[in-house]
Amino acid sequence: MTDNAAALPHLTAEFFVWLWFASEREGGTMDIGEGVGLIDFWVDERLSFRSVDEDKPRAVLTGENTSTSAEARAALASGKVVRDLQVHLRREEREYTVTLRGAHLDVCGLKFPQHAVDGEDELLYERMFLYEDVWAVIRALYRRFARERVSESWHRDVLPAIRSFAASGDLPDRDVAETAGAFVRASEE
Amino acid sequence: MGIFKGAMTLRRYHAEGEIPDDFRSVYAEALNEHAFREPRNPEPGQETVGWCQIHNLLDTTFDDSSRWLYNHYLTAGLRIDKKVLPAKLFKAHLDKKLQEWCAEHGREKAPSAVRREQKELLEIQMLARTLPRVAVHEFCWNIVDGWVLFHNTSDAPNDHFRKLFRTTFGVTLTPLSPLDLVSDDEDLAEGLELAGISDYRPAPIAGVEG
Repeated sequence: MTDNAAALPHLTAEFFVWLWFASEREGGTMDIGEGVGLIDFWVDERLSFRSVDEDKPRAVLTGENTSTSAEARAALASGKVVRDLQVHLRREEREYTVTLRGAHLDVCGLKFPQHAVDGEDELLYERMFLYEDVWAVIRALYRRFARERVSESWHRDVLPAIRSFAASGDLPDRDVAETAGAFVRASEE
Repeated sequence: MGIFKGAMTLRRYHAEGEIPDDFRSVYAEALNEHAFREPRNPEPGQETVGWCQIHNLLDTTFDDSSRWLYNHYLTAGLRIDKKVLPAKLFKAHLDKKLQEWCAEHGREKAPSAVRREQKELLEIQMLARTLPRVAVHEFCWNIVDGWVLFHNTSDAPNDHFRKLFRTTFGVTLTPLSPLDLVSDDEDLAEGLELAGISDYRPAPIAGVEG
């Protein structure tokens, strides 16, 4: 464990941007490995931005199509940092909504799929199972981000592609995205 | 909203410390020792902190482990009470008291010592009649895997929680750092630490100052 939990707080903000960008780049479906495999994920109905040196939100976007809105891209292009974002996750038949926030990767408003079990013990076990299911996905997504972030393709392909996305909404050609993905997959092996 | 129902809003901690073999009885005793207790002489703004059962904040005994231990999950609530006097009402009452004192003693203005005394008396009187502001934040500790979920993400309750958890169980809580998610891969963790900050702003167009 790291001594300072908030060490390198910019990493979570970068993870949030990557999640947003990767969901658009991959068309909402990605094989994230790590024992999780194929998932669907997309930015849901909330995306908030802050200035680099403060925590309170400066711009909060809610509603449908938040992630593709010009306002969201403009906030990113102006140098604001993603403070929190709501993500919809689908793993097999289980669907979750969760807002990720802050340097500690706080989990906010996590909604589980419908679950009906008898008894208090079983209810707790079921909810903890679902929590760990979501956490496994978040962990695997973060590890995927980390591999892209430290790879050679980050500065060569990914960062320019995010800048281009922020400026115009353009997404990289499939072969460029594939190159970045292939590099990361090779690093995993 | 919390451990048993509704949406979850939480901060994840890593728990580090030795778990005693007879943890069921040791922790029952520890929880009882640090359970929530009403303060005898509350002061304005003072916070009182202690554990309560997750099912009802008035249940503050932990003798029956079936109410707080579910296999390897330990659950309880952190109850934080704070008595706050309504400022405007307090001032209005204090003004009346001082006016009465002045009329009784034929003085135009009450001396500061009297003001202080009247203020303290009134605080005691009003605090006795004031209900506390009560907050309960649940937690769930996976004793086997060593992680804890605390149902609040604000700094102040989290500070209270870490402190009381350490005092109660002798276990230190460390909030999650994203680096912990890659801690099994040294190269990756080191790469991230050295990665610096990315600038997502579009590159300026050549020849255009901005």
